[in-house]
Amino acid sequence: MTETPSSPAPVRVVVVDAHPIFRGVARMACESGPRLELVGEAEDADQAVDLCPRLAPDVVVIDVDIAGGGIDAIRRMRRAGYRGRVLVLTEETAGAMVLDSLRAGVDGYLEKAKALRSLGSSILRVALGERLIDPELERAAVMELGRFVKTAREGSRVASSLTARELEVLRFMSEGLTMATIAKRLGISPRTVETHATNLYRKLLAGSRLQAVARAASLGLIDLRRA
Amino acid sequence: MNKREIRSVPPTKRRLGVIVVDPLPVVRAGLALLISACSDMEVLAECGVAEEGFDALRRVRRSRVVLLVGLGLAGERDSFSFIRAVRERYPVHAILGCGANADPAHVSRALFMGADGFVDKNVAPEEFLEAIRGAANHEVVLTGPAPIAVGAIANAIERRRDVEIRLTEREREVLSVAAEGLTAREIGNRLGVRERTVTTHLARIYGKLGVGSRLAAIRLAAQSGLVTAGRLE
Repeated sequence: MTETPSSPAPVRVVVVDAHPIFRGVARMACESGPRLELVGEAEDADQAVDLCPRLAPDVVVIDVDIAGGGIDAIRRMRRAGYRGRVLVLTEETAGAMVLDSLRAGVDGYLEKAKALRSLGSSILRVALGERLIDPELERAAVMELGRFVKTAREGSRVASSLTARELEVLRFMSEGLTMATIAKRLGISPRTVETHATNLYRKLLAGSRLQAVARAASLGLIDLRRA
Repeated sequence: MNKREIRSVPPTKRRLGVIVVDPLPVVRAGLALLISACSDMEVLAECGVAEEGFDALRRVRRSRVVLLVGLGLAGERDSFSFIRAVRERYPVHAILGCGANADPAHVSRALFMGADGFVDKNVAPEEFLEAIRGAANHEVVLTGPAPIAVGAIANAIERRRDVEIRLTEREREVLSVAAEGLTAREIGNRLGVRERTVTTHLARIYGKLGVGSRLAAIRLAAQSGLVTAGRLE
């Protein structure tokens, strides 16, 4: 479709960012040399998910801070068949954000303020298969991984302390059912449900139903999004 | 309350104690040499199998040490179950897994079992020592694996947790014995339950894991690191 000025073929780039100014910077970086070609721009997750699998660029440069969520956008475009590389370029430096991005399978994660000047060469390096991440951001991701591991370990420890019945009661509680309804569903007396609930609170170190459900969700015992 | 215990002279800073648990003598010797060259740490014990590691831990008179655990331990306990047992019995000690070119699945298993970090044996000596200091300092250490592997490690840990959450302890046990390729009757004999009970467990396991066959269940358990060569951790 577009002419390629010379061989080798330029690296095809899509930029996803909420700010027009930043997209302009990315365009400039791509236009400053023959080796990069900006083939598309998107400003939110939906546009990115629509665009990337279709244009199949070599590199998507994306900010995680966009409407619809950048990390979700990455997951969605992967599911939609996008196979190219992903470079996150953002002002977000929280460890959780870096770790989530790495979990979504990105190839690089750079901080905007530091990366802007050498954006063109960073895109090229990622296109060539290099993994680019700021050492400090990697550090933050590893710390977050440490927290993540502790929670996972705790989750499986608590889960193995719960009986199958207690887990059932917990799931019904998370759906907002009353004790009476839970009793009817399970074919047991409300008194018995209360006993299960009391045991659950103790095992989850919770003082109320809300706390129990929140803690169970944070430990991964129940999935509130699915409920 | 014992006033006599108060000392006027501040105690000299004690060197950091390290216990090396690795199956390869040459690795143990190399690490001991490396560590003894540092003024801020010392090797308290070199162990070749998990049992020696436990002995060393019982003898140790320190509130906190760093355990370097090679991921290739053989014998009664493999490295992962050793890490889990140490984590349960000695919650304050720092545990650092180490291995050469370890794949992220092994790193994630070591972390899930209770390691505070992982260091690759291929890194430069100075980096290795820094990893030990970091672990002693309550840091999460990941020295060696590619930065990008952090994501894969977290994903593997989540898969593992999900399987553990869905299955009861008994079901995990049944699944791990099933992974050895035994029939329901043989599994029953091994675990001291009736064949019918085993098939009931298996049916429940398939349901919970959303799979249709024993093979698929075993594959899922293996992917999540729950069973390795038919062994439950």
